[in-house]
This record gives sequence, structure tokens and C-alpha cells, in this order.
Amino acid sequence: MSEFHDDYPSYEHMAHHSEEEGKKTRKTLWRVFWYMLAITIFELVIGSMAPAKGWSGTLGLKVLFIGLTILKAGFIVMAFMHLGHEVKFFKYVVLVPYVIFMGYTIFIVLDEGVYSGHAENRTKVDPILIKQQEELKAGHGHHAPEGAAHEAEAHH
Amino acid sequence: MSHSTEIDSKHAWDGGQSPFRISYGKMMMWFFLISDALTFGGLLTSYGFIRHKYADVWPKAENVFTHFPFIEQHLPLAYVGLMTFILIMSSVTMVLAVEAGHRNDKKKVIVWMFWTIVGGATFVGSQAWEWYHFIIGTETGALRHVWSQELHTYVEQTVYGANMTVNEYGVPQFANYFFFITGFHGFHVFSGVVINFIIFLNVLKGTYEKRGHYEMIEKVGLYWHFVDLVWVFVFTFFYLL
Repeated sequence: MSEFHDDYPSYEHMAHHSEEEGKKTRKTLWRVFWYMLAITIFELVIGSMAPAKGWSGTLGLKVLFIGLTILKAGFIVMAFMHLGHEVKFFKYVVLVPYVIFMGYTIFIVLDEGVYSGHAENRTKVDPILIKQQEELKAGHGHHAPEGAAHEAEAHH
Repeated sequence: MSHSTEIDSKHAWDGGQSPFRISYGKMMMWFFLISDALTFGGLLTSYGFIRHKYADVWPKAENVFTHFPFIEQHLPLAYVGLMTFILIMSSVTMVLAVEAGHRNDKKKVIVWMFWTIVGGATFVGSQAWEWYHFIIGTETGALRHVWSQELHTYVEQTVYGANMTVNEYGVPQFANYFFFITGFHGFHVFSGVVINFIIFLNVLKGTYEKRGHYEMIEKVGLYWHFVDLVWVFVFTFFYLL
């Protein structure tokens, strides 16, 4: 590069830092790692408790998990990928288009998705599966494969 | 690092410097990652759509992924938790390699890059193992309506495991999305391991020591963290919710 742009600043070298700065950086990185590990363990514990406590599929659980995921994503992008330390303008160049496009995609799915309907589509799904799910909801068996096994015996 | 904030906003766009205070290669890696993130974002959004459409017949992940290597026990989501830990860990070792590169510490770069590659390879292997058990299924199987080519109608049949047309655990769409999204992500991890390995060889050869900076580690690091970032979302939407 340098043979073409003699007076051009060399950004590759700007990231160099001293031993002390390195120590500080490493400390931050390990702290972020412990945060992320704690969040993941918390998610798994909540996730394994959910079926027994009847939290599965509730809006609160969904919001909690998606919120924690976005928090983890923030840690990765800002600390590990170092975006938090880049120039403010570059941060926006990366994040704003993405947030706009994904926001639009999610909006259009939520808004137009209602046309796909619920009730009439159920008839296109495997009738055995629907029966198994209804049995499951009524409280027979622990999960679908077991319920299906009993059914197979009854048929033969 | 700290230099990046020192910028004269009045002359930032006058030329002769990058207004972003960032090298060309790093910026282009970021732009590539934005486009890749949009691909994954689109895939996960469509997954969410189909999942809500078939909400009452959608299988629960804790009933599907219950195996753990070498332990004959019912351990829902334990293995995927371990896989997540391995990938986050390899992200940390990667960023430590980047940090060592900033100090031109070749030895430390080698050590951390090595562990990153080990972590990535372990993750790909774990994913293959998980796919294997998902495809094989349980011993009992489940009764399903399956389309018969000869009879041109649906017949009742016991199905074991999942593939693109039948799924023991629930609707086939679950298997389709699982294979496509985790497969696409797994291919990213695999490419990341290959790229990391090539860069690792270059570090061993001393290419970056001669060049005077280890920015290449930073660029592959960005890609590697992105792979971790996608997994965080896949983990939530496929296994937790």
C-alpha cells in the first residue's frame, strides 16, 4: 500500500498498544466473557425449568430470551468485534442500515403474516400429529414420540 | 485503539485519510458481515413465521435434543449448552489472539489462534453429532401420515428420525429449517476454521511479523466473532424458545 500512498495514514499500525494497555484490554475481555457465560447458564436454567413451571411459550419468557440474546449480541459486537471503540460515524454506518432492514422485515412478517391464517392450515398438517398434540395438551404422555409409540401398539 | 477517537470532523471528508479511521480491509470485512447478517436475519425471520403458523404442532427442542455423548441419560439441551460454551470460549481466544497481535507478540498469537481452531473444530464435530442423532431418531419412532408414491395417497407409517420429508418429532418444516439454518451456520464455522488455519500457518511462517502488524488476525477475528454472534441467535430461536 505504502508505495501508492506515501502520506496516507497507516491505520493498520494505529491499533498497536503497549503492555499496560494490553493488560487492561484483557481484563475487560475476560469480564465480558464471564458476563456472557452467566447469561447463557441463566438462560439454560430458565429454559429447563420452563416446562414444569408452565412458562413455555409465554410472552414474558419470549421477551426475556430475546432481550438476553440481544444483550449478548451487543457484548460480542461492541467488545469482541471492537465496534464500541470505532469512530461514531462508522458505528452508525454498520448498525443503522441493518436495524432498518431487519426492523422492516420483522414488521412486514408481523403485519402481512396474518393472511397465512391458523385454522385452515391445521387441516393440511398430518392428522396423527394433530391428535398427538391434543393428547399431549390433555395431559397424556410426556412427549410426542412416547404417545406415538402407544398409538402404534393399539393399531397392531 | 485509543487513536480512533481523535478525528477532526471539519476535515474528515477532505481526502488523504479515512473518515472512519479504519483500514480498507477491515471496513470491507464489516460490510461483508452486514450482508451476511441480513441473510441470517431473513432466514430466522422466515423460521419465526413458519413456526407461528404451525405453533400448535411445532416440536419442543427439549424433547428433540436430549442426548449427550458417552452418557446414556435423558439430558435435554445439555449438549447444546456445552456447544454454545465452546463457541463463546473460542471467540474469547480469538479476541485474545487479536490483542496479542496489537503487541506484536507472535508467540501468544500462535497459542490463542491454536485454541481458537481447536474450539471451532470441536463445535463443527458436535454439530455433526447432533445432526446424526436427529436423523437417526428414537428407538420407538412415531406414527405419521406419509405420502406413498405407488398408492398416491397418505398411508400410516412408523417414522424414525427426521429428514426433508418426514419428521418423527413433529412437522417436517421443523427439520427443514433446522437442517438449513444450522447447516448454513455450520458451513460458516467450517469456513472460519479453514480461514483461521491458513492465517495460523502465516503467523507460524512470520508473514505478519515481516509486515509489521497483525491486522489480518483482526479481520479473520471479525468473521469468527460474527459466526459466534449468529450462533447466539440460532441457540435462542431453535433451542430456548
